[in-house]
Amino acid sequence: MEIAAGTQAGGVPQPGRAPAATRPGPSSPSLLRSVFREERFFLVLSVFIGVFSGLAVVCFRFAIDWSRIYLLGSGAPSTLRLILAPSVTGLIIAMLVIHVFPQARGSGVNQTKAALYIYNGYVPLRTAIGKFITAALAIGSGHSLGPEDPSLQIGAGLASALGRRLHLSRDRMRLIAPVGAAAGLAAAFNAPISAVLFVIEEVIGRWSAGILGSVVLSAVSSVVVMRWFLGSESLFRIPPVGLVRPGELVAYAVLGVAGGLASVVFASGITTLRPRLKALPRWTQYFQPAAAGLMIGLIGVLGAPQVMGAGYEVIDQAIHGQFTWQFLGILAGLKIVATILSFVSGTPGGMFAPTLFIGAMLGAGVGDVEHLFFPHLTGSAGTYALVGMGVLFAGFLRAPMTSVFMVLEVSGNYSIILPVLVANTFAYLISRGLQPAPIFDVLTRQDGLDLPSMEELREENILRVEDAMQPATIPVLDDDQPLAEAIRQAEKSPSETLLVRMSPSGWNSITKQQIRTMISEGKGDLSLRSVLPIRQLPRLHPDQPLDIALRYVHEWPLIPVVSRANFRQMEGVISRDNVLNRYRIAQVDAKDLI
Amino acid sequence: MPPLSPEIQPGEEVTATAGEDRILRWYATREPLVLVVLSLMAVLFFLAVTGLSRIYYRQQDSLGERWYSRGVADLNAGHADQAVGAFHAALRYSRDNYGYQLSLAQALAALNRTDEAQAYLLNLWERKPEDGTVTLELGRIFVKKREKDQALRYYHNAIYATWADHPDNRRRAARLELVDFLLQENDQTQAQAELIALAANLPPDSPLHLRIGGLFMQVQDYEHALQQYREALTIDRRSSAAMAGAGHAAFVRGNYESAQGYLAGAVAGDPKDTESAELLHTAGLVLQMDPFRRQISASKRSRIVIEAFETAGARLKSCSPRPESGATVPTTADQETLDSRWNDLKPRITELGLRRDPDLVDSAMDLVFAIERQTRAECGGPAGADLALLLISKLHGGN
Repeated sequence: MEIAAGTQAGGVPQPGRAPAATRPGPSSPSLLRSVFREERFFLVLSVFIGVFSGLAVVCFRFAIDWSRIYLLGSGAPSTLRLILAPSVTGLIIAMLVIHVFPQARGSGVNQTKAALYIYNGYVPLRTAIGKFITAALAIGSGHSLGPEDPSLQIGAGLASALGRRLHLSRDRMRLIAPVGAAAGLAAAFNAPISAVLFVIEEVIGRWSAGILGSVVLSAVSSVVVMRWFLGSESLFRIPPVGLVRPGELVAYAVLGVAGGLASVVFASGITTLRPRLKALPRWTQYFQPAAAGLMIGLIGVLGAPQVMGAGYEVIDQAIHGQFTWQFLGILAGLKIVATILSFVSGTPGGMFAPTLFIGAMLGAGVGDVEHLFFPHLTGSAGTYALVGMGVLFAGFLRAPMTSVFMVLEVSGNYSIILPVLVANTFAYLISRGLQPAPIFDVLTRQDGLDLPSMEELREENILRVEDAMQPATIPVLDDDQPLAEAIRQAEKSPSETLLVRMSPSGWNSITKQQIRTMISEGKGDLSLRSVLPIRQLPRLHPDQPLDIALRYVHEWPLIPVVSRANFRQMEGVISRDNVLNRYRIAQVDAKDLI
Repeated sequence: MPPLSPEIQPGEEVTATAGEDRILRWYATREPLVLVVLSLMAVLFFLAVTGLSRIYYRQQDSLGERWYSRGVADLNAGHADQAVGAFHAALRYSRDNYGYQLSLAQALAALNRTDEAQAYLLNLWERKPEDGTVTLELGRIFVKKREKDQALRYYHNAIYATWADHPDNRRRAARLELVDFLLQENDQTQAQAELIALAANLPPDSPLHLRIGGLFMQVQDYEHALQQYREALTIDRRSSAAMAGAGHAAFVRGNYESAQGYLAGAVAGDPKDTESAELLHTAGLVLQMDPFRRQISASKRSRIVIEAFETAGARLKSCSPRPESGATVPTTADQETLDSRWNDLKPRITELGLRRDPDLVDSAMDLVFAIERQTRAECGGPAGADLALLLISKLHGGN
């Protein structure tokens, strides 16, 4: 009657804790020291990754600017340049992507996630180089894309290359791409907190001290390097912003609703058109970026060149109230069209900057319209534009935490937190209601991959022990009861297995047959405590995930579920059948929902 | 889409199985070397990016200056719309350049794109609230937007702000703009206060005194106006404009002798100055027709009174009453009463009669003044001798 596993030195089982890592590890003290040495080294390496990523992002910014100067001209571009630059460059980019850098398509976020979950942290350096070149050409020539997501992938690529060169372990290699991604994004955004949050929230999907330390170190070091070269100014000149009267939150809620709807339109455009364009004959892929570029150029010629490129200057102007609400609305709409065209055509580039652009235009526009009807509203165009950026970030990219901190970090003003929270919540809920899957998840599935959806993980209903446990109908014996008395009590129960409450704490189990056998051996006067094995039953609590119960039910037929406040107080019992039945019901429910 | 990382080679990654111990030992022995190599790589990369950034910023500065110069040229040529484009381009290469932003704001203001200009200027003002140029531009923006309180605020800030060059001149110009704005707003009291403050510290500059004098005239502060014209004449004795201004001010103040002198000088200097000539004529008449002047003989005074009495009588006759006008006529100066009083007094207004009865001069002149005031109310402003008599009546305490 030996019960395997489940006890520690003190004899108290700890099922609530995750089991120890099972990877083959060092078996000697010297190797244990080496493990710590590797962890420490990984932290140091994170700083180097940040430095290298920061330097790469600085070069990327230079490359984008040079590309713009030489392709669109140093001043306001002529009509010819507006037409030719994005279309001819689109053709060149298509050649490069098809023949030289096939992994450089898209934004870069999903590729980094794939590196983490599929390719053990492997991001080819060639992809990072390809992303650098093609995205710089695309953004510089006027395609409506941004530099943040490519920077993220460039950082991940550099980190991955470094990790491979240093022969890091598989666990470290998996983590190194997100560490580099955080560094790249932080440098591109000049916002380390947002970058760390985004990578944790959308790429890694879990918090742990080891990951957080590395990600933070790399993000901070990359931002320090970036600021060394590009200055510490925020991406936008932020005017005084804030909330004067709490009643105005209603106005921001309206902005949240508008932003949520715009996010759905934007996301639907991409998710609808992208598979259709991909389904076209292969030869058309040579011309898709050029055609997208041509249409964007035409938008520029027709009077809205502001939608071309990343558009930071235009965001800056909107923040400072330099457009009428009509023009802001037009810019928001055209930017959605231009970004959809650029992105679905397979042109490499990011969606962060366009999202911020659309949000800023929409925010400032909605703010202006609200001011027309309610002149007493005190929020400036800058405040609405900033909140609008957060709104689109929450609604389109579906990164609610990042969206809040991004606005706070960019504005450097905590007083804007309430409008941001209110508006982002509305946008997020509307977007989730109308577009159940986040854009990055849809894109992943369109590419035939099945990466874990962070939003689904966040929203997943976890089954708990209380969902499967049954009321304790069997008699509970005390460990000081003699066997003869115990069998009398046990005979009243139909259950073969009986639970024994140990003193001062703990639980054990015994079968009727075992008691009968010992009585027949003349041990009827002995107490249960004296005949039970030292190893006790694991105990479970009602709030624990059901997965934990699954680890024990195959060894013990019945496990007590006890109160956290009093381990001797039984709340119920759980068996293997209970657990499996509950999972089966959950599966049926899920199918019904689908 | 092709797989994300098809090039991955199984042998290229290190698994966590057999190779683990080897890797950890590798770290244990080579970590310092790896760190040194990484540091060297970082330094080299850093130096390379430093070189690139120098090239980049040199180009950015050059492009910024080129577009800024083009913008300034466009603005000076009156092509504000092109200047806006050029300044926008310049700012692309130097986003926070103070001068570029200021020029862009000025160009936008020139195009009456006041909201945009205001946004740029407010940003600049937040950066340097003491900058006079920005503050003054903001004042001008609010003048265009007819926001008086804000305009006053920024103009006053501009007056006491810091100016890079010629601060006194700049402050004076700002205050003058403010006075102009206040006059447009018909706020003469505030304008007068600003002018007094301005006049307290003026350099010896004749045209400037002339301008300030003119502004004092507009706010009806004739004493300060006269003072300014005199200051101008101190600097330039032959200035016809200063003499005309001083003449006007002295005339309005009732100082006809001074006015006559200044106006005579003005007319002599500028014969085309008909306004001064007219005033000079009137001033002469006032001086001639005033019977209360000192140092005139009794017979001359009598002749002046008789002439004034006749003039008033003629005026009374020429100005027939217009009942339909509905004008309220004071009972003491009723048209008929005046006519009757004039007829009653007429036989006594002789040189002999006036000499025998000195009080008759006062009675006659009181009636003359009453007739002139009444006829002005009935028939409009007089001219010539009638105007002179009206002015004399004011001079001696009448309305």
